[in-house]
Amino acid sequence: MGEGGGFRPPEQHEREQWMETALSMAKEALENGEVPVGCLMVYRNEILGQGRNEVNETKNATRHAEMVAIDQVLEWCHQRDRDQKEVFEQVVLYVTVEPCIMCAAALRLLNIPLVVYGCENERFGGCGSVLNISKDDLQQTGTPFQCIGGYRANEAVELLKTFYKAENPNAPKSKVRKKQ
Amino acid sequence: MEPQCKKRKTRTLGTFTWEVMPVLSDEKLCEVELVEAFAAPIINKKQTSYLIKQLASLYPLNNLPHIKRVRTCRDKSDHPLEIIICLLRDIPNRKLSLSDLFREGKADGIGLGEPFQVKIPAYQPLTRFQFETASQHWPTTFRENKQVTDALQGHLFNTEEKAKMQTFMEKAIEVANFGKKMGMEPVGAVIVNPATDEIVAVGHDCRNGPNPLLHAVMVCIDLVAYGQGGGAFNHNKYPYCYFKTVESFPGDYAINIGKSLLPSDDRSLRGTTVNGLPYICTGYDLYVSREPCVMCAMALVHSRIRRVFYATPSPDGALGTKYKIHTKKDLNHHYDVFKGLMEDECQFLLS
Repeated sequence: MGEGGGFRPPEQHEREQWMETALSMAKEALENGEVPVGCLMVYRNEILGQGRNEVNETKNATRHAEMVAIDQVLEWCHQRDRDQKEVFEQVVLYVTVEPCIMCAAALRLLNIPLVVYGCENERFGGCGSVLNISKDDLQQTGTPFQCIGGYRANEAVELLKTFYKAENPNAPKSKVRKKQ
Repeated sequence: MEPQCKKRKTRTLGTFTWEVMPVLSDEKLCEVELVEAFAAPIINKKQTSYLIKQLASLYPLNNLPHIKRVRTCRDKSDHPLEIIICLLRDIPNRKLSLSDLFREGKADGIGLGEPFQVKIPAYQPLTRFQFETASQHWPTTFRENKQVTDALQGHLFNTEEKAKMQTFMEKAIEVANFGKKMGMEPVGAVIVNPATDEIVAVGHDCRNGPNPLLHAVMVCIDLVAYGQGGGAFNHNKYPYCYFKTVESFPGDYAINIGKSLLPSDDRSLRGTTVNGLPYICTGYDLYVSREPCVMCAMALVHSRIRRVFYATPSPDGALGTKYKIHTKKDLNHHYDVFKGLMEDECQFLLS
């Protein structure tokens, strides 16, 4: 699972430190009227990409924080003429909410080895909550990745709650069945 | 409604070499599940309503509201009716005596004959095929969805609709070929507004370019966003990927586009537009030459697509092969999926 190319899984204190930064991104998203999810892509102790949800700005419902951060990493590789595959195989994603099914599949396609996340995503989660895309046997969809959840989960949940209380002013009338 | 459906059935398939099949949920496609029950003949027909009342309070069959308690027996001359007493699992030692059941009255005086075991359908049938199988065991209620029945029999689309569908898939094939010439995976996709039959976006797979996540579906979703004044990627390098700008959009246009195949889900199309402008892919149809992967299938959930037509299955496909993301109950949006549209042509594309 990508450990070959000198990938060193982060220590506990590193995970906590990066998660702190991801949470501040989520807060920024909330202030901008986007779903408060923040994330970082860290490669050898360096942030190559950071993202927050940009669905409303782009009118593209796939612009989740992870997808935004992925594009920054791609751009970083492009500018430095670095091999994307080699880089992504050593990237750790820190994200405040469990990646959704779409993002989990994207992370597999890029062969990202490890995801550290905050709270679970009961509505769309792709790392065990709704489907387990991170682990399932999908020969043509990159490589499975490891997940460590539960980092600052309460804070991540609180941000989401604040957002959904205020509701998304750009979305049509919601038909979402809220999970109790 | 009725005569129209009948007319449709007798119509020939025209000149189409393909047939589309709906990709239904596992619940709709599965075999009829059965549970074991005790039933008994009603010897004295006049006792029927009394028996129904008694049994309803003794054994209410709460989880089987679709089961008709009494069935008529045309082939059995000694008794006209049979009644379900209870499920096998409702009685501890799996032995049933009528005197235990009706302590106060005498069993034979009540008009029941010797109990026997039957298997009855555990769930209400969802398709006509399930209904027919279920009814062979015990009568059940069935609320037929004519569209599902028609779809399963290949009668959902008439010649005119099929001709349109073929045009859109031909467009997807054409753009896939353009992409292929640029070194891309030969996959093409087209997003259509079915209210106007206008093509909203056309895109080919771009994953072999700088961004490996730009699958044809992701390209199209972003092109739709461009048409609505948004967008995230630079598609300038790909002249065959294009969108139609929506400047003014008649508010109700996208709303009247017919019923969906699975009306049991609440998917009224209210909310299709925001301030008179279309909202992401709400109400739109996607034509794609091969079955989308997990990422793309879920991107279509997020984008509120209405229907997806694809030609050939993919090994890790998420709309029928490995998953059926479009029918996944936990998710907040569902869409109809049909496969097989121009399958041979798209198979050829991939070879």
